[in-house]
Amino acid sequence: MQEEMLEKPQESNSMSKVFERLSDLKSIFKFGEKIVPIIQSLVEFMREIIPLLETINSSISDSTKKMPMAANQIADVTSATELATTQILDLVDDIGIALNNIESGLIQDEENRAKVAHLLAVIKEKVGPVHAAQAELDEVYDLVISSQLKESSIQLIEAIKDDTYKITLSLQVQDITAQQLAAVNHLIESVNNRLTMLVQDINQSDIRSEFLPEDFSGGGIHFDPNASYTKTEGKQDVADAIVQESRRVNN
Amino acid sequence: MKKVILIADDSPTIRKFVSVALTMQGYEVVSACDGMEAMEKLPQAQFDLVITDLNMPNLDGFELIKSIREDERYKEIPIIILSSLAGSAEIEKGLKSGANSYLVKPFDPKRVQYEVSKYLN
Repeated sequence: MQEEMLEKPQESNSMSKVFERLSDLKSIFKFGEKIVPIIQSLVEFMREIIPLLETINSSISDSTKKMPMAANQIADVTSATELATTQILDLVDDIGIALNNIESGLIQDEENRAKVAHLLAVIKEKVGPVHAAQAELDEVYDLVISSQLKESSIQLIEAIKDDTYKITLSLQVQDITAQQLAAVNHLIESVNNRLTMLVQDINQSDIRSEFLPEDFSGGGIHFDPNASYTKTEGKQDVADAIVQESRRVNN
Repeated sequence: MKKVILIADDSPTIRKFVSVALTMQGYEVVSACDGMEAMEKLPQAQFDLVITDLNMPNLDGFELIKSIREDERYKEIPIIILSSLAGSAEIEKGLKSGANSYLVKPFDPKRVQYEVSKYLN
């Protein structure tokens, strides 16, 4: 009897646990009812998004393939402008050498003219004022001493030299654009590397072997990304002021 | 005897610009494509002046100037920086490393000639 009394509460305890579990199960089913449509929507969304992701992946791959080519073309432009600029500068250099030679020639000519004028003066004195050729001698002497060839030519030479300096200054746009293009190449290379990593993550495959960063011929060029071609003296004025200040402090 | 100038710049066009501007004035110009080559060329002649860019591969302009100033043989050579970097920080850094003058690109060839003549004539 006593044993029966003891078993009954135990039985009731087990039953209450079973009911508790059944209640939990019911809650899970209810939750499942709610969550299943959401999961279905998610599956449908995935079905729709996967082709789109594949398209994006393929577009990124295509763009990644084209980037080294674009970078190489930019590098080719830099090389071509560099070659053209150097050729123009060679000509400017030749003009400069020719002008220096003309200048030296004119100085030599001036010295010779002075000698001729001196000799004419001696001849005039020797032949005397009544000589038949006196008038012609006077004329030649006047022509020799009044020649302005050197002065006018030197002015012209200086003007041409000035123009060659201006050409040199203008051609420096090549160096500045080369730096700007190198900055663009660097940017393309960075974007390419990021995209390559992204494609790698999507595909879980190594595509870097196809698009090595070494394909970028623009890489390795040292550049100032803020390089700009301006003829204003502003930047030089700032530099001069700092140099002056530095000298003042050091003295 | 012609004064000899060493120009260090990785841009061949800038080396040519400087060379054209200075040979017109009767100087002899030797070129180096970076700081490393400039250091190799320094012992090969009696250089009277050095013109250097700052942004260069292998050995940049700051390091080149530092190396020149630390070397007993070259420490008195006047150095002119020729760079497109025009910020006051770079200019001050260049002067602190031992440069005598600072010219900003694009440069007026006459200004380069004037600056060189200040030290050599």
